[in-house]
Amino acid sequence: MYIKDLSCISPQQTYSQAFLQGRIEHFKTNHYLAAEPSYEELIPSSKLRRMGKVMRMGIGTGLPLLNKYPETKGIILATSEGGVEDSMNFLNQVVKYQEGALTPTNFVQSTPNAIAGLLALMTKNTGYNVTHVNKGLAFESALTDASLFLEEEPGARLLLGGLDQFSVYNYNIELLAGAYKKHFVDSSQLLGSGSPGTVCGEGSAMFIVDSQKKGALAQIKGVGQGSGLSLAELMERLRALLTSSNLVPEDIDAVVLGYNGDSETDTWYDKVRQELFPHQAVYSFKNLVGEYSTVSAFALWFATQLLSGFMPPKEAVLKASGEKPKRILIYNHHRAVQHGYMLLTV
Amino acid sequence: MIEPAALKLKLKEQIIQYLNLKDLKPEDIKDDDLLFGGDLELDSIDSLEIVVLLEREYGLKINNANEGRKILIDVNRMAEYIIANKTDL
Amino acid sequence: MPRAIVTGMGVVSALGRDCRENLESLQNGESGIRKPLFLQSRFSSTHLFGEVKTSDAEFKERLGLSSDIGFSRTDLMALHAFEEAVTQAGLSQADLSSPDTAFISASTVGGMCLTDQLYADSNLLGEGSSFVKAYSFGAHTLSIALLKNIKGYSTTINTACSSSANSIMLGARLIKAGKIKRAIVGGTDALAKFTINGFNSLQILSADSCKPFDEFRTGLSLGEAAAYLVLESDACCRGKKGLAEVLGYGNANDAHHPSALSDEAVGVVAAISGALHTSGVLPEQISYINAHGTATPNNDITELKGIQKSLGFIPPYSSTKSYTGHTLGAAGSLEAVFSIFSLLQNEIYPNLNCETPMKAFSERPERKLRRDIPIRFVLSNSFGFAGNCTSLILGKAS
Repeated sequence: MYIKDLSCISPQQTYSQAFLQGRIEHFKTNHYLAAEPSYEELIPSSKLRRMGKVMRMGIGTGLPLLNKYPETKGIILATSEGGVEDSMNFLNQVVKYQEGALTPTNFVQSTPNAIAGLLALMTKNTGYNVTHVNKGLAFESALTDASLFLEEEPGARLLLGGLDQFSVYNYNIELLAGAYKKHFVDSSQLLGSGSPGTVCGEGSAMFIVDSQKKGALAQIKGVGQGSGLSLAELMERLRALLTSSNLVPEDIDAVVLGYNGDSETDTWYDKVRQELFPHQAVYSFKNLVGEYSTVSAFALWFATQLLSGFMPPKEAVLKASGEKPKRILIYNHHRAVQHGYMLLTV
Repeated sequence: MIEPAALKLKLKEQIIQYLNLKDLKPEDIKDDDLLFGGDLELDSIDSLEIVVLLEREYGLKINNANEGRKILIDVNRMAEYIIANKTDL
Repeated sequence: MPRAIVTGMGVVSALGRDCRENLESLQNGESGIRKPLFLQSRFSSTHLFGEVKTSDAEFKERLGLSSDIGFSRTDLMALHAFEEAVTQAGLSQADLSSPDTAFISASTVGGMCLTDQLYADSNLLGEGSSFVKAYSFGAHTLSIALLKNIKGYSTTINTACSSSANSIMLGARLIKAGKIKRAIVGGTDALAKFTINGFNSLQILSADSCKPFDEFRTGLSLGEAAAYLVLESDACCRGKKGLAEVLGYGNANDAHHPSALSDEAVGVVAAISGALHTSGVLPEQISYINAHGTATPNNDITELKGIQKSLGFIPPYSSTKSYTGHTLGAAGSLEAVFSIFSLLQNEIYPNLNCETPMKAFSERPERKLRRDIPIRFVLSNSFGFAGNCTSLILGKAS
């Protein structure tokens, strides 16, 4: 599967060229909020008025790609929470008005497939349209679905994306579940902060993928996932991923790892480095965009940029390399329970 | 008793608020502008939002779509309906 | 190309706690839509629902779970139906934990059935309930994967009311492409104030039992269910009793409206055509359609138009939502199980509550139990919000 084009809204200036040209946003709180563009030229105000943030980010990244590649056969998205703001606004109405007269817009917008559905509606795309919501593995699941589709229809082209938004409601729930740090940490100090928990981010990364090598930015050679894996099982899976492409760990030039500053679970990344990739370049990304369920879509965007010659900011370089990488392994886990990995080459 | 003109202005403000019509000001909506099928680009979900507006703001319940179609035509018709059915304006 | 054989099924719905109870109710024409026993809602006294007649506490006891475990009703029903499906298929622990086994579930409500706890936790009104990890759409999938040591591909699909039809489609595609040997596929959704009020706000929630394909239909009845199927590649289930085969599938988007289908039934036609194409089944070979048939004014007329357009005629059809209510994320897999009952028993379960058939079509839904025709291929339709349309074609296991 080949990446032909891509678009990204994140807490960094990724929608424009600014991030790629070296501009970095720093954060002093535990909420890394997306730098949203003005959508006015892209989205008619009659539609924009109903959109929550995740919908705006999804249309903002997906619509220009679909407009540019009108022959796209289907839309496969990943979002753990979808229109969480709409869900919670509707839920609050249920409680506040004691199940009385409620406005339906929040309800209709709350279904996670509203994003893929609206992209289809706005571009009259009647093809395959599926939304994966499996928490920290939603994007890897969607990627597998897309890869299968392209095997079934080798000439096809798809829109693939992963997106989630920050909402105070979800932040509160995850805070109660112990996901976030109890004190604010400056983003420059996040990795190695030595305390449990992480910070919350958001964003949308979308890709045009197909099976044609010509004009590709990168090739996705493999993707895999597993829940409740032991460390030994993870290592075995990562080796198997490489073996399936006739590679050994030494063939990998760089690893992109999901370090998020959580002292209890960052050890998984340390172990992967020590056991499999002790000499390779290492890049982080969550100190740029925060943690969220579909953040591996951002990791894929980031790694694709690295393959295209992007010089990463010093904040993202845990171990430097003088050369532009040719083969990158991305490994990310969600709470050390859901593990996902991707292999990317030029 | 509220003046029809004041009621219509208030209705327009409420329509803008309920439907999140951020770009519009009350004066952009004429009393006889069609709510549906006109320049406002409202759809069936908006009509349900306006039904909730009438219930929450004026205590008036519209129970079926046929009744709604006769009332949710323009601001004039909505104001007439409110004045005819609401006693404590 | 490998074939996707159904070797196990598990189901819990308003019709009962297992396949046998559900089948008997369908054969007897007994609806499960009635006054709810457990649902805490203003609508409990005014509306009828397809509620599962088992309390959360009883589910926990039957499943051997501790009474304070933070599982929602969505999770509990899922686990219950999952157990029946894998037991019937005779899957071992090694089978479940194999990287060649996928678990593909679906839910549209997830832990939002816990309305009051969710409200408190999301607004930080207390110290946090035991359910903080149970709210997301994918929570039940992860809980079951961890409990059952499922380590291969797992996902949760949420495409509104077509969700679990899409789970079945994805599982069958992965098997047919030779990517995996087996998949446990389906979906789960509990009754929730969230969805009840949502459909009510759209004025498509019926107070009485829903009346699919009736001229004076008044909207949908909500229900709750979980249903799972075990799909196995034909090469690895030799010697097992096959119950049915997933032959074809099609998913398409209607690209028309956030919560209604287009007059031209674009998505419906494309989904059915896709299922015909992948299965190689001809329109005239379809013996029976288990319709989406929600009993909303928009769905029922558009569905029949779409069937007419894509098949060229309207085969015998009925909506089993008149027994279970609309079970949202579970509806696709629940109705796939019912379609397989039709194949196994050569029966068509009658459409209840259709008193005045729709004027627009002379073809009426089956209103009496039929046992007079062989059921060779069943088309099962599932359509959801945001234009999502999925059709499956199921056949007998040969």
